[in-house]
Amino acid sequence: MKRSTLYLMPVTVVICIAPLLVAAAKVGQAAPDFTATASNGKTFRLHDYRGKYVVLEWHNNGCPYVGKHYKSGNMQRLQKQWTGRSVVWFTIISSAPGKQGYVTASEENEYLVKMQAAPTAALLDPTGEIGHLYDAKTSPQMVVINPQGIVIYDGAIDDKPTTDLSDIAGATNYVNLALEQAMAGKQVEMPATRPYGCSVKYPGSTH
Amino acid sequence: MRGCESNRRFSAALVFLVALLLYAASAQASGSPIPHGTLQLIAENQWIAIGHPFYLGLHFQLERGWHIYWVNPGDSGEPPRVTWQLPPGLSPGVIEWPVPRRLGTSTIVDFGYEDAVTLIVPVYAEISLAAQPLARLGAEIKVLVCREMCIPGRTQLSLTLPIKSQLPAPDVRTRELFAAARKDLPRPAPQNWKFSLDDAKDSFVLAANVAPQITQAIFFPILEAQIDNSAPQILQPLASGFRLTLRKSDRLLKPIERLKGVLVLSGNRACLIDVPVSKRGAQKNNSGSGIHEIQSSKEEPRK
Repeated sequence: MKRSTLYLMPVTVVICIAPLLVAAAKVGQAAPDFTATASNGKTFRLHDYRGKYVVLEWHNNGCPYVGKHYKSGNMQRLQKQWTGRSVVWFTIISSAPGKQGYVTASEENEYLVKMQAAPTAALLDPTGEIGHLYDAKTSPQMVVINPQGIVIYDGAIDDKPTTDLSDIAGATNYVNLALEQAMAGKQVEMPATRPYGCSVKYPGSTH
Repeated sequence: MRGCESNRRFSAALVFLVALLLYAASAQASGSPIPHGTLQLIAENQWIAIGHPFYLGLHFQLERGWHIYWVNPGDSGEPPRVTWQLPPGLSPGVIEWPVPRRLGTSTIVDFGYEDAVTLIVPVYAEISLAAQPLARLGAEIKVLVCREMCIPGRTQLSLTLPIKSQLPAPDVRTRELFAAARKDLPRPAPQNWKFSLDDAKDSFVLAANVAPQITQAIFFPILEAQIDNSAPQILQPLASGFRLTLRKSDRLLKPIERLKGVLVLSGNRACLIDVPVSKRGAQKNNSGSGIHEIQSSKEEPRK
């Protein structure tokens, strides 16, 4: 008994540090797995959603670029539209405690109600572990994963990198484009773009 | 009679005073507020000379620690955007961007300016322009100002200048700001400096044959998503110059033909470079690592 516990220890250590050593997510490659606690208290593991499309949305409620898509209702519309088509949508908050956009579970739940947001869940990532796993640079950065668990899109939400609400109407939405093309069995035309927005407020971030 | 005279004197004094106030206001031109700073529209010359190009400037003065962005903002942020409102016959050129600084942490790196910067813009004045005492030059500016967080700002600026057929004359009040802005502009690389760029799998290797001893080099790409902004740029000084290894951006999914940007070298020399990706390097890329490529390309002349 004792012997087997000792035997398992190094394995556990390796598993714990593994996410930090794995190279960040890349388009065309397997989406790194993660487990996270959502604001609703439930635990979600990415791997459990094999067979479905998954959207990851990096979020910071104080960022004006995020504000553009929430005040206009654009993000909520996308969430409703795609979860209505069986897509799993995770809003991810990688702001560290004390940084812009950091929220407790109850604060996030209030925000979701107030904004009438409709993700599958809002995942809390205060250590920035999931953010680093996907090398998330900005909010809102968007990642689309296909049912085989491959990253098929990573980048901006659309082609208008501004804070102006009026720019949403004429923008090409890259998340829609990726999901529509992939679901139609087509090649995703724009698989990677520069994500725009505010830098993700990881622990130790200064700007 | 007396009253009339004193009235005339009074109005003359009033005109003088108003003129003085206007002059003082434009000379001080404290600027319009933007988030955590001020922004001022300045002109290099006292008047617009018909048929002569001239420069306007946008002078940003920011509170300590706040920054704005370069034309390529890097991993986050957004450059200032200007919409010019100029009289017919005047057409703006593009902003001449001073050398930026790397801002940020180990994983997210932006390019921009802290504290103060002047962005200068050439304006072309057509020969058909009519002389007028006061032409109004306007600009609407959208700017993102950041420190730990970002605040978008928008401001409307204007400036009035006479349009004359006389030769241009510099405005002493703005001379220093324009001189400082020009000092910070990157220059074309000296003609005898040779650059080449190899596509080495995950990196671009910029090789430079330059005269001076180089101990520091930082490359700022003009276009987004070509190189990994936060990756260390590895400098290898050589007798004939240096080699700089730039990690490719994960978002660069298609080969590029050229790499364009600003190269800042030791001694504060900043050069604009535009280097084609060597075809030879790209072919070799299929068969070996970056190091081998460089060695083999060095060996080639011996054959």
